[in-house]
Amino acid sequence: MSDNGIRPRCEAITRAGTQCKNYAADGSLYCGVHQTLPEPETVTETARPRGEIYIDVEGPSRVNQNGAGQYTLGIENEHIETPVEEFRRHLAKEVEALVDRLQAVTPAFVPPPFTPKGIIELVTQFIERLPDEQSGTALEKLQELLTEEAFDPEFWQGLWFIINYQLQMQVDMVKRRLTGDYVTDDWGYDPEFFDALRPFFDFLYKYWFRVTVTGINHIPDSGRALIVSNHSGQLPFDGGMIMMSILNEHPSQRLLRNLYATWFPTLPFLSTMLEKIGQAMASNENGTRLLEQDELVGVYPEGFKGVGKLFKDRYKLARFGRGGFVKMALETQSPMIPVSVVGAEETYVSLAKSDFLARLTGFPYFPISLRFPWLGLLGVIPFPTKWYIDFGEPIHTDEYEPAAANNLVLVSQLTNQTRNVIQEMINTRLAMRRNVFLG
Amino acid sequence: MSNKKVLLITGVANYWGGRLASRMVKEAGFRVIGIDARPPKVKVEGMDFVQADVRNPALVDLLRLEKVDAVCHLAFNEHRQRSEADFDLNVMGAMKVFGACAEARVKKIVFKSSTKVYGAQANNPAFLPESWPLRGRSSYGYIRYRVEIESFASGFAKQFPDMTVTSLRVANVVGPTHNGPFCRLLRSRVVPRLMGFNPIMQMIHEDDVVEGMAHAVMHDRPGAYNIGAADLMPLVKILRLAHCVDVPVLHPLAYWSMGVLNGTPLKTAQYFPLDVDYLRYRWVGDLAKMKQSFGWMPQHSAEEALAEFVKNKQRSLRKHEELALDEQFLTEAIRQRRQAQAEEL
Repeated sequence: MSDNGIRPRCEAITRAGTQCKNYAADGSLYCGVHQTLPEPETVTETARPRGEIYIDVEGPSRVNQNGAGQYTLGIENEHIETPVEEFRRHLAKEVEALVDRLQAVTPAFVPPPFTPKGIIELVTQFIERLPDEQSGTALEKLQELLTEEAFDPEFWQGLWFIINYQLQMQVDMVKRRLTGDYVTDDWGYDPEFFDALRPFFDFLYKYWFRVTVTGINHIPDSGRALIVSNHSGQLPFDGGMIMMSILNEHPSQRLLRNLYATWFPTLPFLSTMLEKIGQAMASNENGTRLLEQDELVGVYPEGFKGVGKLFKDRYKLARFGRGGFVKMALETQSPMIPVSVVGAEETYVSLAKSDFLARLTGFPYFPISLRFPWLGLLGVIPFPTKWYIDFGEPIHTDEYEPAAANNLVLVSQLTNQTRNVIQEMINTRLAMRRNVFLG
Repeated sequence: MSNKKVLLITGVANYWGGRLASRMVKEAGFRVIGIDARPPKVKVEGMDFVQADVRNPALVDLLRLEKVDAVCHLAFNEHRQRSEADFDLNVMGAMKVFGACAEARVKKIVFKSSTKVYGAQANNPAFLPESWPLRGRSSYGYIRYRVEIESFASGFAKQFPDMTVTSLRVANVVGPTHNGPFCRLLRSRVVPRLMGFNPIMQMIHEDDVVEGMAHAVMHDRPGAYNIGAADLMPLVKILRLAHCVDVPVLHPLAYWSMGVLNGTPLKTAQYFPLDVDYLRYRWVGDLAKMKQSFGWMPQHSAEEALAEFVKNKQRSLRKHEELALDEQFLTEAIRQRRQAQAEEL
């Protein structure tokens, strides 16, 4: 391929499927290593399309078994009659043995990312993201490739193959979506869209806010429940983080249907995005309907009063709406799970609110913070504070009749009870917290 | 006279009137009288056609003479622009027909409405129940008049409690032959949509609308019912499935063009068969009442309806391709002749 035109290079194709880089011996098409190859007309490898992965079972390599499970690879050009499947199985076993041996010899040794074990982990991560069916074929291909030492070029070819495969899959997905071939549920939830967005949420959850979660067991594996949380942080990251905490920490990995403010449907892109990640607009009808469908629903009764809190008022709960969430829970007999989010209040330091700018921009509130609007978009990046999300004991509503939703005294009583529980949870967590950024 | 029930259908010269008439003449238990100011383009076999305007006060005498049991009021001009003529036919016409029915003691009135009457509003719940207030305050004639008729009809039903007044609020109608606003939107090659907005749409097959109306005529179902297929799709998906090229437009620009440019000779509204709000917010009817009290389900899913629509759309596209093919044949023939002439020389 990279013939410099001075001296001819070897014509042979290596087992990695690439052109041999040695110079050809005098008077021959091949280098010293490949001297034993037949004439080019009979070399089938030359017809091999580039980038295609396969192992040449009838060709150069074979397996010899010497005594106690020691596998060594045979010399090239020896012919064997082993069936393809058996051959592959032997090779796969060999890799496994190799990895185990490496671990057995040095137990304290943590494999760096480019040892076989590390690479296998890397590949596993890749494969986990593929659908079952495709990961099966990808693994099979990989097993064929991982037969020798991991530094064999074939391995890298395999890795390239998998990355290519994944890229191809993404291209296919985009193509499919462009022709309208995807599914959404009645609320507009689009699982593929959510999967595409999830790495960003995961990044925020794991690395930016380093969320610590307690009491996740209070969330039921199935059936309806209403998650009631405090609301803070100027931008509603808290809803997303509670959603991610349930997806990442709870065994059922349930999707939390947060109810968002009625202002969001008027915004382009954001309205579509919220709908596609399974959220719904906050209204009594939507909440009740979702609970009746046995969904997990998240409400933030403080609303804009909570998110738009000034820094000096942090962790002081605002009024809990009009108690609409309690009515929803009573009507559908769903347990209410109080949640406290600590850390979100410090993501922005809001010093004042400008009514004038809010009216001018149409925002529900316009925060004047340490960095916003002075630094523009830079002021929108939240401080990487350490977050705590604590799920509390469920407040059961099934001891009341569904008609109790009309009992305004009971509703306001339960509203206050929930608010007090959450305030208490916040206070406990704040007393334990030493540092805003380190926890 | 036989013991057949007598059904009078207004507006039989328009699409829905004609479709329902040809559906109902097949029912053995019904005698169908059709009325319209102009004769229907396709004659419906077995229908007794009377050429008259529904606003004529003499309608009462016809209803009395024929002992009409049920009236299906479908005379409605589905025009985008508001005009005095349309208001007179759509709203005043409905009032006059309803009044005549009360006068002649007709037991049942069925009329077609639309889920557009709820209005596309930001704070709409995901599924609009029939009890939801009608907030369709569009500038579009066909939406505004439907809201007027609906609010008149609900008052009328209270005034005459022994009459069965059924309103069928149908979702976006999709089908091979219908030419409603949504079909017009999907039939064009290039479709404007609002950038960043992708509302979930409810659809129904045109045949199911006819079946639903027939069901309402044959059974006593007073009140309003949302009529639509159970499966919902986002607008962009529908456009992709219908092979439309969608052009995202900034929504302030769309509103502005509708408000300002529409007054100029450049009529931008013609590119928006659905009002801008209806491409922005969600307006999906809750089908619980249709399933339970109406006791009827559409035969086609929205996906099937759309697939049939697309098949039909492609067929019409293929005709263009055939024309293009003809042109190729022609040029080929000309080329051959030229060659032959050149050889002769």
